[in-house]
Amino acid sequence: MKRFDLKKLKDLDAKKLAKDFWYGKPHGERRLGDLYIPKTGLYKHREWRGVKDTMYYFNNIWLYNYGHMVTDILKYSGGNPKGLVQFVKGTMRYRWMGQTYLTVMHWFDRCLEGMRDETLRATAWHFRGIVSACLYQIVEMFNRDITLGGDPEKWRKTIAHDETVWGGVFYGFPDVAHIPLQMIPYFVTCHCNNHTVLNYIDAAQALGLPGDPCPMCQAEAGIFLQDDVPDFFPALVTTNEACDGSVATSVIQDWMINKPLFAMPQPMQFDDDSVLENCAKEIEGAIKFTEEMTGVKFDWELLKKKLQDQNELQRNEWEKWDVAANTNSYPINGVGQALYRIFYSQYGDMDCWHETDAKVKKIMDKCVEQKINTFPMTRHRVIAWSCAPLYYSAWCTWAYNCWGLNTIINMDSLMFDMEIRTDSYENCLLDMAKYHEWAPMRRMAVGGLQHIFELWENMEKFNCDMVMMYDQIKCKGMQGVVGLFEDEFRARNIHAIWMPHALPDKRDVSRAEIRKIINDYMFTVMGEEPLDPSLLEFDDSNSW
Amino acid sequence: MKKKEKKQNKALKVLGKTVGALAVAYAGLFTVFYLDLDGKLLYYVVEPFMQKRFDNMERRDPMSMPYDQIDSEYMKRK
Repeated sequence: MKRFDLKKLKDLDAKKLAKDFWYGKPHGERRLGDLYIPKTGLYKHREWRGVKDTMYYFNNIWLYNYGHMVTDILKYSGGNPKGLVQFVKGTMRYRWMGQTYLTVMHWFDRCLEGMRDETLRATAWHFRGIVSACLYQIVEMFNRDITLGGDPEKWRKTIAHDETVWGGVFYGFPDVAHIPLQMIPYFVTCHCNNHTVLNYIDAAQALGLPGDPCPMCQAEAGIFLQDDVPDFFPALVTTNEACDGSVATSVIQDWMINKPLFAMPQPMQFDDDSVLENCAKEIEGAIKFTEEMTGVKFDWELLKKKLQDQNELQRNEWEKWDVAANTNSYPINGVGQALYRIFYSQYGDMDCWHETDAKVKKIMDKCVEQKINTFPMTRHRVIAWSCAPLYYSAWCTWAYNCWGLNTIINMDSLMFDMEIRTDSYENCLLDMAKYHEWAPMRRMAVGGLQHIFELWENMEKFNCDMVMMYDQIKCKGMQGVVGLFEDEFRARNIHAIWMPHALPDKRDVSRAEIRKIINDYMFTVMGEEPLDPSLLEFDDSNSW
Repeated sequence: MKKKEKKQNKALKVLGKTVGALAVAYAGLFTVFYLDLDGKLLYYVVEPFMQKRFDNMERRDPMSMPYDQIDSEYMKRK
């Protein structure tokens, strides 16, 4: 048994203790790694961030979001308590829901570790926006799921689509819900609790598929092979976005779903203007298909209105990028920035994005006006390129806390970088086509060498001095350009860390391995010492 | 007058008890938050339970569906 050490007690500095209690420990003294319970990723206790920020986290993030995870269900069910019943049924029926939903607050914890003041507040609002949008989709799915006793009338007025089909295609339909097939069951769950996705990957491989194709496609197919998809729709729209691997998923989905399907292929090499019209025709085809399947007439005025609302979101984004690029006052951390942007620009316009942006803008304006340095321990401004590990999106938070690597922007945030014209139907359709061609992983990763090399101009634009180069080891497209990048990094004398990962599958490259690669580079190449040595090595192998 | 005072005292007592109960609940929630008890409950109890439930759930075998089904037949059934 440990003996009580009176000497240690005498050595304690009461003034320092009181200061740490009130303000929280300064960055170099936090030892955040000591808070973890080995293997689990759970905390012995949550971080003490000083009185103000701890109470903010408790009241305005933890309590607030747990509360809204219930009230949002009612809100999106139109106040009908049956929505709650459907929600519970869905939670007990679908693995991706039952194992993941309640772990959401720990996703917040991982991504917000070490954050303080305005950064804590603004980043948490981004997460709140994402959770609200997720709940909308989940509630809409379960309220329509006829296998769970959902509403058949609502079922009829729903279009399901690949998560890589931009939601804007369906803006022109009043009372028609468009719900991505995989955005919640696959994409979001990997971030919150990456245990569930492994079942789906294994299911696809058990079919006899080899283990080395893109695990995103494997997982998306596996959800269907495990019969874990709600029946909430009469028809669906698929696409070859982000790459042709997605087509293989669609083949399996088509087989398992057996409902009317509209395939909306988008060109890989989109620089050729002649393909734009073709792409626009495909979108028009999807619109006509939606009319036929739901019996709801397309409304051009509604499409215009929703696109104008979406353009407003894009202008907000440009303002955020401007602050991120040219000041030290951008209050969103790397993971909060990336996930929020990819989610809203892919799913499309919703009220919750506008509400979130208004709140974040207020905080950002304050930071800029008062010239608050939001990430004061920044040693390097990092741009993250290619597609990120879904099971370790919180690496940005870790890298800042451990090494002062501040991720300013990442590739997938820069994809849908445009406003859409609404002055005429023709112009609008062409812009919608271009927007679709600029989808995640398509615009840069498989859109041609000149696009993946947009890295250099963005590095300059965002004043970054280091690249975190994601290396999705099962992406055949990106494997082909590794050597070209290495040549360029050398020629341009750029510090770049290659981060191998397998998108949703932590078994191929673990989070600990990712951290080790960054640690090794920072010690040996950069010759730097960690800000928080307790974060260098820890075991989170079984964590969410 | 006495009746009114009694009523007032009773109301104050109820108010005091309510505030006290809320304060205890708030402190309890803070303890759950700070000690990550929600995480521990989910990790050690809820998730294993759910996992077992989903592992043992009877599911339709989608592989048994013929590959050449006709979509319009599905629509008729609906």
